[in-house]
Amino acid sequence: MLEVSHLTVAYGTKPVLKDISFQLADGEILAVIGPNGAGKSTLVRALSGIVPPQSGTIHYNGRDLCSLSVQERARLIAVVPQARSLPAGFTARQVVSLGRTPYLNWFGQLSPADEQLVQEAMRRTDTEHLADRLVGELSGGELQRLLLARALVQATPVMLLDEPTTHLDLQYQIGLLNRVVEVVRQPISPNGNGKAHAPAALVVLHDLNLVARYADRVLLLVEGCLRACGTVNEVLKPAQLSEAFGLPLEVMRSPNGKYPLVVPLMA
Amino acid sequence: MKRVRVFLLFVLLLTLLLAGCAQPAAPAATPTPSPLVMTDGLGRTVTLAGPAQRVVSLAPSNTEILFAVGAGGQVVGRDNFSNYPPEAQELPALGDLSGFSTEQIVALKPDLVLLAEIHPPELVKTLEDAGLTVYYLKNPLTLEEMYPMLITVGELTGHKTEAEALANQLSVRVAAVQQEVAEIEDRPTVFYEIDGSDPSKPWTAGSGTFIDTLLEMAKAENVGRALGSQYGQMSIEALLEADPDFILLGDSNYGVTPEQVTERAGWDELTAVKEGRVLPFNDDLVSRPGPRLVDGLEELARILHAVTVP
Amino acid sequence: MKGRTVHPFWIAFAALLAALLLSVLVGSVSLSLADMARVLAARLSGAEIGPDLRVADTILFSLRLPRTALVALTGSALAVCGASYQGLFRNPLADPYLIGVASGAGLGAVIALSLRWRYDVLGLLAVPLASFGGAVLTVLLVVLLARVGRSLPVTHLLLAGVAVNSFTGALTSFLLLRSTGELRRAIAWLMGGSAMGGWQPVLAVLPYWLIGLGILMTMGHALNVMQFGDEQAQQLGLPVEVTRWVIIAVSSLATAAAVSFTGIIGFVGLIVPHLLRLLTGSDYRRLLVLSLPGGAAFLLAADVLARVVMTPQELPVGIITALAGAPFFIWILRRSRTLPYWS
Repeated sequence: MLEVSHLTVAYGTKPVLKDISFQLADGEILAVIGPNGAGKSTLVRALSGIVPPQSGTIHYNGRDLCSLSVQERARLIAVVPQARSLPAGFTARQVVSLGRTPYLNWFGQLSPADEQLVQEAMRRTDTEHLADRLVGELSGGELQRLLLARALVQATPVMLLDEPTTHLDLQYQIGLLNRVVEVVRQPISPNGNGKAHAPAALVVLHDLNLVARYADRVLLLVEGCLRACGTVNEVLKPAQLSEAFGLPLEVMRSPNGKYPLVVPLMA
Repeated sequence: MKRVRVFLLFVLLLTLLLAGCAQPAAPAATPTPSPLVMTDGLGRTVTLAGPAQRVVSLAPSNTEILFAVGAGGQVVGRDNFSNYPPEAQELPALGDLSGFSTEQIVALKPDLVLLAEIHPPELVKTLEDAGLTVYYLKNPLTLEEMYPMLITVGELTGHKTEAEALANQLSVRVAAVQQEVAEIEDRPTVFYEIDGSDPSKPWTAGSGTFIDTLLEMAKAENVGRALGSQYGQMSIEALLEADPDFILLGDSNYGVTPEQVTERAGWDELTAVKEGRVLPFNDDLVSRPGPRLVDGLEELARILHAVTVP
Repeated sequence: MKGRTVHPFWIAFAALLAALLLSVLVGSVSLSLADMARVLAARLSGAEIGPDLRVADTILFSLRLPRTALVALTGSALAVCGASYQGLFRNPLADPYLIGVASGAGLGAVIALSLRWRYDVLGLLAVPLASFGGAVLTVLLVVLLARVGRSLPVTHLLLAGVAVNSFTGALTSFLLLRSTGELRRAIAWLMGGSAMGGWQPVLAVLPYWLIGLGILMTMGHALNVMQFGDEQAQQLGLPVEVTRWVIIAVSSLATAAAVSFTGIIGFVGLIVPHLLRLLTGSDYRRLLVLSLPGGAAFLLAADVLARVVMTPQELPVGIITALAGAPFFIWILRRSRTLPYWS
């Protein structure tokens, strides 16, 4: 269980996240939404240790993440960033293999168990056939799946995905999120890391309908403040959303009745 | 990884092995008591078994001195720029200041390498490490100091008497020139151009150079003294202000002619240009520390004061 | 992929051996193989060198061997450091001189060259010591300017490097203008002419080479991770700042030591890693290891050319590397259009 308590993050004197508190349970998918500038990416940065918090704490199962070394933290938190400006000369397999870095020696030597894990992760993300292709030749969707595989191989209990669906075609967006769900429900068993248990996933998303479809819980951030945190139905309310995003939004029901649909109202 | 360690080990062993091999080769014979022990311009003690019979000269000035004292037949190699006397040009050229071929010097088996002040001390070390005997001749500051240079070279090559005679002759000629110009009150101003590639800022020589010393001795005023350093560029404006009586083209050896000078922008305003007193000058006579400095002095006296010397 | 792990290394190693041999066998004076064999035999057996072999012995052991060693050390140091910087700065134009080693060494050398030194141990070491000191101080200045707290942002380093390089270069040019007498010597040094012979330079450079390259060659994996940017590298568990400090410190020392004796030799640190990438791909573990024999072989070959192309004149080797560098680079550019090998 990831516990974030009164987290405040500032760039210089300007506070970007103010007093954020929430929990993320194992096996859960938490979507983080909010308008631009709300601090979503900063949240990912703070959780992964890139930006130190001004105040507040981040704990995983009681361990204070800020007191951990970079390597220890990387064994608890993995990040799937946007697939942008990746080094073109690496092969897909090399990229995924680097996900084992927190467990490797200084020379980066992979054990047979590591290699097996890489293979499994690539199978699960449907990137096996890309193994020997160079990054420079791959499409955005393929690269994003590779980064997911890399995070899988990092075998962490918490995965942070920072807008993984941006710039992707709709089919790839759906495909990626399907895989995220799969991984969370059926975790990879990391040999040598002990128990296999369901990771938690925090996904920053722009598309509210994807959120509605895939998230277990939702966190609404506006200008650095936590406006709402709860189930999809609790957070995706028309009044709340319209106020947060600054335009009139309506929430309807999908034809099969299972998911809410968020639709902007035309003037 | 193991491969890398093996390789590194190999490299280390190789280097140590080679360094170990590099003990200086033991000389084949025990040294006999040497009649020639001298101290060179760097303060080093130089020992020769006898007068040097195979001399490598790496500076044009040294080559001139060697031939002047009669040791020309003992010179086996020269630097690229040794061009006087003409016989010197038939000797093998061994490089210049941007690089000498140490290997070829060694292959000539010299018993003496003569260096001048233009050479860096590292060259001395390099040649010494290659097992050669090196003598470093310091530059003279005045003409008086030039004579001992001749004597030294004479001693090194077994021509001491000739060297002394040469030194005497030279001092007699110098005295003659000085007598001729002794009466002169009105000293002409002279601009000595070393490099006029940029006509707006020609290079000239200031105090501390041979040309300055010689101009002084020839009762002339060196405009370049205003520089405050040994060599430097003087702006055409400063030159116009100084308006020298004579302009001597030290770069005429590189093809610069008085006609070209008249065409330079702004130079046609100079009195010397208008009155045709821009003259070519053989720079070798005033830049090489050796007997030809006296030739240079005489030439200056002749040009500047129409003085004829016997 | 697995099969290839053997071949590139042995290729580079073979190239190195060939270059080493060439460097020892070739020079302005051609020695017969028989003479060389006899000299070698005499040395190994400890026998006295006869007068007829004296010339060959001097040329081989006092001139060519130490020079070969120094050139090999320098070439490998420049290539490994160049590859490290290309990885560290994620820039294909990076070379070991990016943050001030060359400009600082040049300034130190020109200062030392413009003074008169006594002919003693200190005097002879003045130029290498001054250039080493100049290099180290200049890198320190760049690092201090670029520092933000305890971190060293890459963009800051690049900017500070450009600024300090310009400033130091200008100072050096100014000094060169003032001291006309030493101009030629200084220019030759700045072009990369190895002025000092003998084993002293080799022994002086060796400790820096061993420590510097020893550490750098273990940085391959770290550099691979860093290709994804500071953020992702840290999220993958790599201590990015520490790694950067270490690579800069160690690379600067090794490069500074190398150029202090051989002068500024350009292009090696830039070209050799790019050439080797065609063999190894972008994996820095392989690239750094290969750069050692690769850089040594490259510079040795250039040095042999410098010695024989205009004999008896010996050109500064930096001219050869620059002349050879341009066509090589064009060739690499054209090849790389077909495959995105740059990482």
